[in-house]
Amino acid sequence: MSAPETSTPSAARVQPSIARARTGRIATSTAIHTVLFGYTIIALFPVVLVLLNSFKTKRAIFGDPLGLPFGKTFSAIGYLDVLHKGDFATYFTNSFVVTVVALFLIVLLGAAAAHALAEYRFPGNGFLGVYLIIGIMVPIRLGTVAILQMMVQLHLVNTLTALILVYTAQGLPVAVFILTEFMRTLSRDIKDSARIDGLSEYRIFFEVVLPLIRPVLATVAVFSMIPIWNDLWFPLILAPGEGTRTVTLGVQQFIGQYTVNWNAVLAALTLAIVPVLVLYAFFSRQLIRGITSGAVKG
Amino acid sequence: MAQLSLSAVRKAYDKHVVIPGADLEIADGEFVVFVGPSGCGKSTLLRMIAGLEEITGGDVRIDGQRINELGPADRGIAMVFQSYALYPHKDVYGNMAFALKHAGVDKAVIEERVSKAAAILGLEPLLKRRPKQLSGGQRQRVAIGRAIVRDPKIFLFDEPLSNLDAALRVQMRVEILRLHQRLKSTMIYVTHDQVEAMTLADRIVVLHGGRIEQVGTPMELYHHPANLFVAGFIGSPKMNILAGTVEAASADNATVRLAAGASISVPVGASPAPGAKVSFGVRPEHLAIADAASASITGTAQVVERLGGETLVHVELADGATLVVKTDGECLARVGDIVGVTAQGAHCHLFDEAGLCLPKAEKHVLAV
Repeated sequence: MSAPETSTPSAARVQPSIARARTGRIATSTAIHTVLFGYTIIALFPVVLVLLNSFKTKRAIFGDPLGLPFGKTFSAIGYLDVLHKGDFATYFTNSFVVTVVALFLIVLLGAAAAHALAEYRFPGNGFLGVYLIIGIMVPIRLGTVAILQMMVQLHLVNTLTALILVYTAQGLPVAVFILTEFMRTLSRDIKDSARIDGLSEYRIFFEVVLPLIRPVLATVAVFSMIPIWNDLWFPLILAPGEGTRTVTLGVQQFIGQYTVNWNAVLAALTLAIVPVLVLYAFFSRQLIRGITSGAVKG
Repeated sequence: MAQLSLSAVRKAYDKHVVIPGADLEIADGEFVVFVGPSGCGKSTLLRMIAGLEEITGGDVRIDGQRINELGPADRGIAMVFQSYALYPHKDVYGNMAFALKHAGVDKAVIEERVSKAAAILGLEPLLKRRPKQLSGGQRQRVAIGRAIVRDPKIFLFDEPLSNLDAALRVQMRVEILRLHQRLKSTMIYVTHDQVEAMTLADRIVVLHGGRIEQVGTPMELYHHPANLFVAGFIGSPKMNILAGTVEAASADNATVRLAAGASISVPVGASPAPGAKVSFGVRPEHLAIADAASASITGTAQVVERLGGETLVHVELADGATLVVKTDGECLARVGDIVGVTAQGAHCHLFDEAGLCLPKAEKHVLAV
């Protein structure tokens, strides 16, 4: 008889506390989403502004920067300029080649270096690790003069190779840093198991280690991609020639000392976003696949 | 199918010596278990046999051929790891076929061998699954299957059951034993669990601090431990060790007076001179609770652990030493009771001051 009497009031006491916890959770989640939504708006605002104004007449851009391109204000003159003045197809190809090849080298060499640092015991391992990573703290632009001199001597000025080499060097320290930390968490047994299965050290790297760290490789690629694509400094210094210009450099021809062809600038910038988005979509699919495959692990 | 021999095998990292020198002969088809506390060098020794760890000195031979410099894949061994070490991006079939594919074995042969191994281990319905879709026991079965497929001369197991839960461990233990009976291959198995060692092994190698303390059949180690370490390590609960002095000695017997007062006669062969200090060892299962008035050893029951079928009584003696007595489940002793303890002298052991066991007068019937 006493059991239900004692359980009912305690149940009644528990109920409101659960309800309170639930409203608390909803409030927290609303707050988080408000902040995230706000951040999204701030982040997207300039992009949307560029996109909208790239379709407007110059008068409309300055008269009503926030207005939609509609009726009289609509104009594709910017895109026509981009297509006719300057060789933007080449610029895009250049940017794309430089970015993709540099990313490939960063990921491949970074992963190889990280694997060696994490897997093998050799004298100077610790020192080498610090040496490879210290580049994070030294901006590569400090070495611009030396790099330029070197490229001149190697006859690499005005080639995409120069840019690819510089960007690979720029991206490697962070890549080695992130990948080494991750490689250390890989199970030693699985590599030993591959050794017993008769794989050479190279095949272990390519066939066992790389597939295991694919999501991290994608993360590194995404991190390294944007600074390369957006860079103006090195294309301006190392490869300003017509045939080797990248998109960011190509756009500069519309920015004169006295007048700026805003329509063309905005149109070119809009177009420049597209390839990055494609690359990002490609990498992030790898990223998400990696994350979920980890999450389901029993 | 192979015979393995280690002679003076050493392992050192720079100046830090892990294994000072191990000698061991393993016969063809034998199931040998390396057992010892963590850090005793058992895994290192196994990894040296596997070729995953460089051999600092000495020789490892398989069928008489020195294999020190051979790579792991060329030694004709297969290894099963504690963490299963399956390739997560390959399905069960891919995992099992991987080594053969690399060796360039014909596709039809691979298929035949994999399906044979899968049949032995009951893995047929799982061949298309990824490791992450399998339970712990299934994963370990795949790892064993991967070893079987390679048809190795020697199977190496590195604590293969330590990641499984208790029930599964018992089940897999039986499966490994059956596998050994079926394949009749040489197997070397590393574990820190003495129950696994006792149940699986033809012979057990007890390691401690990088040294081989004793090699023998499970019953040999149980009845004739070589020294205090093996005596304490094999058997659960641990053997009781008490301090004592030899009172009288004959050709096949020694009478020992314990620090607590009682004197017991133990059948040892070459016994030391009267007056020598010895350690007296007796297993909890060879002690019995008796009437306090008549028994030679008496003490207070400090802890009574009832396991249902049996009872462990921890008895504190007059000099402060504790004896664990394993008795039947019906034992009525309660905490605080004064109880008597009797020991079966035939099952007791004496250890000299260096910790070495004095040889018994006769070998136990099971210890052959």
